[in-house]
Amino acid sequence: MKGPYDMGHLIANYYETGAIILFGVGFVTLLAHGNLIKKIIGMNIMDTAVFLFFIAKGYISGNEAPIIRSAKPASGYVNPVPTALMLTGIVIAVSITAFALSLTIRVYEKYGTVDLNEIIKMGGE
Amino acid sequence: MAVYNSYPLVIILVLFISAFAIPIFKSIKAARTIGISAAGISFVLSILTLMGVKENGAYYFRVGHYDAPWGIEFHIGIIEGLMGVLFMTVSLAVLWFSIYSIDHDLSKKKVPLFYTLVNLLVGSLLGIVFSDDLFNCFVFIEISSIASCGIVVVKDKKENIKAALKYLILSSLGSGLVLMGIALVYSLTGHLNMPHIHEALVSIYPEHSRNMLIAIGLFTVGLGVKSAMFPLHTWLPDAHTFAPASSSALLSALVLKAYVILYIKIIHRVFGMSIVGELPVLNIVLLLGAVGMIAGSVLAILQKNLKRMVAYSSVAQMGYVFFGIGLGTTMGLAAAIFQIFNHAFTKSALFLSAGSILEKTGKKNISDLKGVGKEMPFTMAIFAIGGMSLVGIPLLSGFNSKWNFAVAVIEAHRVELLAVVLISSLLNALYYFPIIINGYFGEESLEGKVYRNTERPIKELLPVIVLVLGVIYFGVSGGGLLSLIEAGIPALN
Amino acid sequence: MKFLALVPIVFPMALAAGMHFIEFKNEKHRRAYLFGGVFLNFIFAMMVLSTAQPEMHILKINDFMEIYFKVDGMSKLFLAMTSVLWIFTTAYSFDYMNHEGKEQKFFTYFLVTAGVIVGISLAGNIFTFYIFYEFLTLSTFPLVIHTGTREALASGKKYLIYSFSGATLVLLGMILLFSVTGNLEFMPGGVLQGFAIGKRLTAAYVILFLGFSVKAAMVPFHSWLPAAMVAPTPVSALLHAVAVVKSGIFALVRTTFYLFGAEAVKAMHVRGYLSILIVLTILMGSFVALHQENLKKRLAYSTISQLGYIMLGILLLNEDGLTGALLHLINHAVIKITLFFCVGIIMYRTGYKTIGEIRGIGKKMPITMGCFSIASISLIGLPPSNGFVSKWYLAMGGLQENRAIFVVILLVSAILTAGYLLPIVVTAFFPGEMERELVNKEPPLMMLVPVLMLTGITVVFGLFPNYILHFIQNISRSLI
Repeated sequence: MKGPYDMGHLIANYYETGAIILFGVGFVTLLAHGNLIKKIIGMNIMDTAVFLFFIAKGYISGNEAPIIRSAKPASGYVNPVPTALMLTGIVIAVSITAFALSLTIRVYEKYGTVDLNEIIKMGGE
Repeated sequence: MAVYNSYPLVIILVLFISAFAIPIFKSIKAARTIGISAAGISFVLSILTLMGVKENGAYYFRVGHYDAPWGIEFHIGIIEGLMGVLFMTVSLAVLWFSIYSIDHDLSKKKVPLFYTLVNLLVGSLLGIVFSDDLFNCFVFIEISSIASCGIVVVKDKKENIKAALKYLILSSLGSGLVLMGIALVYSLTGHLNMPHIHEALVSIYPEHSRNMLIAIGLFTVGLGVKSAMFPLHTWLPDAHTFAPASSSALLSALVLKAYVILYIKIIHRVFGMSIVGELPVLNIVLLLGAVGMIAGSVLAILQKNLKRMVAYSSVAQMGYVFFGIGLGTTMGLAAAIFQIFNHAFTKSALFLSAGSILEKTGKKNISDLKGVGKEMPFTMAIFAIGGMSLVGIPLLSGFNSKWNFAVAVIEAHRVELLAVVLISSLLNALYYFPIIINGYFGEESLEGKVYRNTERPIKELLPVIVLVLGVIYFGVSGGGLLSLIEAGIPALN
Repeated sequence: MKFLALVPIVFPMALAAGMHFIEFKNEKHRRAYLFGGVFLNFIFAMMVLSTAQPEMHILKINDFMEIYFKVDGMSKLFLAMTSVLWIFTTAYSFDYMNHEGKEQKFFTYFLVTAGVIVGISLAGNIFTFYIFYEFLTLSTFPLVIHTGTREALASGKKYLIYSFSGATLVLLGMILLFSVTGNLEFMPGGVLQGFAIGKRLTAAYVILFLGFSVKAAMVPFHSWLPAAMVAPTPVSALLHAVAVVKSGIFALVRTTFYLFGAEAVKAMHVRGYLSILIVLTILMGSFVALHQENLKKRLAYSTISQLGYIMLGILLLNEDGLTGALLHLINHAVIKITLFFCVGIIMYRTGYKTIGEIRGIGKKMPITMGCFSIASISLIGLPPSNGFVSKWYLAMGGLQENRAIFVVILLVSAILTAGYLLPIVVTAFFPGEMERELVNKEPPLMMLVPVLMLTGITVVFGLFPNYILHFIQNISRSLI
């Protein structure tokens, strides 16, 4: 994207634009909601948005997925790097989600609620 | 290629493999043996690496024999070597100490888990420091996030879970921002390997300066959350207070530092001063660092819980590091890195001794700790030395650190900021000294206390004594370290 | 042999540590250990002072930070004075602390402070000086709060806050100075050769002056001193005559003449403003002393006032003024220690603390009160006492600067000094109608002998000042 963001560019790159909007959504969800589950969902949305952005960046229209069936010059394939990286990223996001969810379960056991604001109020040493 | 070139990778591998191996053996003894011997081996290797780098200069190590930019590379210069030694020294001391203290905090089942997590944590932190590939760094960042949340929650109390959750959420926020930053940089340059990114960025700078500003902003906020830059530090007090003493020591001393090192690398290696110098980022970092230095101390003064106070003190001390980075000069950077060393040794000693005191006396609040100097003179002495170092008493590393910042400030022609440095050290006195004084002096306080009643045996205090010796050593001969750091900075770029 | 300088610093600290491990058979053994140790340290100090190699670079951390000792006229003066007075105080403390209690703790920090003072005397650059200056605060703090009462702790806290704030100012000034000159060494005439006196240097000087003047109890930084009177008398004597306040003065001398140089300070045009504070100190100290009932507090405010004289002499920036200042540094130390020791003897024997209580005590403690009287006369500045000699030179210095006002101030405060000291003497010797039955209560010899010797020094220096005078004049000449 160059220079001032004109609408033509934004619409042409709709994946990236969508990804950034999603990122914003996830970010706000993460921060604004008190409910822990919603926070985790927001985190997931945010991460997914970044994955989308990344993968979209790697897409070259007209090219094939990077799996070699018949020999083609490198320019015939989509950029394989982002997809590989994002696989890693997805795995990471899944593990963190799992960890966060298990912690949430423990929190629910101990505090009886999953609302973070209430939990903070309950405090207690 | 010399032998030591592969050591950084070996260190990380050793630490990770031991972390995976520990759960196989169910016994605590096995966990300890494996964990600590792995740390010991890594310690030795890190020293050898540093010595090698000092002799022969910085080098690139390709992992898997693929050249960059397709393969992942490690770049080991003096700074990275120093960080390696620092991390291994502190973690070895903490692990050693944990042999005696961790049983108090954790249930028997969880102890092996602790050692696993610690090794994972240190390994991933070293990965962040060593790696020259941005995405590789990201992977290590995530591993360290989980591991550091893990060492908070390995103690099974409800405050811990709350604190760990808060930490995890904010940490993920930070990671998400960093990932977005990486994505932005990749979309601009098509590279993930730092020197290559740098070349590309420099050539396309004029047209894309706004994007680069956004990227730097993302990295700043993202890494700032994870390294407790004010005002993004809010997760720190809870996490560091409720975690077991050994965990708090590791969190304050090491975890925060690795992210700062990455930030330094991003500023200087990926973007470079030619770009960053034109953007207002460093001034903002400087400002936030300065505010953090003062606000952290002010908040610490208001605390009643001992560990919480030490935690806020960490926020203040990290403020110094950002202050140094924000100055934008070589001397400022050197002062910041020296402060990293200083704080790592001092804070770990403080947390371990504070943890000892809380464990042995069973009390948490500062007001309950009167006269503890008579009951636990040695532990209190260690705390006192740590506190005095942060206040800036000469012959201790904290004083050298403050002097370095003062010199850096003057060299950068911003003499007004000198006042900030000095005021903040004075503020430190306001919360450390009362503890030391009430601990050792005062008739009312000492009434009814028996000498060395609840003291830890010296054998158990040895690791903390080692850390304190580090504080004194860097206080007396910090010049050597400083010149080493200054020599290593050019290699960062 | 350059590490010889470390001996009189480390030896007392080793003695202090040793005290905790050695089992003394009885009190006498401990006293012998202590006195022998302090005396031996005096010998070590003299050995260091007579070394052929006056410059000792001990440890260089980097360009800014170096531990460096140097033996020159000022260090000889300060070290000799403090070592001798330390011996007297040690002897005096034996019996006094016996009465007070917790000798072990007292003598530990007493010894450590002795070592720190040697470091201050020998410091060859302001960085080394600063290190030992900080340590001085740390090592004297436990002495101030020795009694452990709430009041003592509060005074100790005040002491710490004032001292550390002052030290922070000093650090700031040091850094500013270094940023211009790159050199922190003490050289006669200063290290500013070739540097223009700009705002930064002026700021550095003023900040350093203010920072050091906290320990020198200049108004408005003085209130820690009367508060610290809650400490046992040997501590008050030590703090007020020897260690802490004179270290502050010593620092001012070093800063003004050995870092900046008289010429530079003259060019800065800040003397006027600083002098206002100093004159305030002199006058206020004397005025408030007039109103104090508590003897020790009265002597404390007297000290504040007398230190003002010395600071004034320094700022006159001429040879006579400096001579007078340095002379008064020594004379006031001797006189004040004598006065405090006498007051301490009264407290030790009778428990009386205020001027009202000591009516008629002169009859029962004639020697003690006699010494007090002689010391008082000296402080007022009447010939043939040593106080007279130092005041004479201060007045000369003032006249040389064409400031007759200083002479007037000296006279006025001399009258005030008489006003707050003579009533003590009079009350002690002339009780008027209130005769009381008191047993002859002169103190034990170990306390009396130091007092007598100190009084003797006062008289001798008054009658035969020449040796010290010439020594000091040499120093002054080399600096102006």
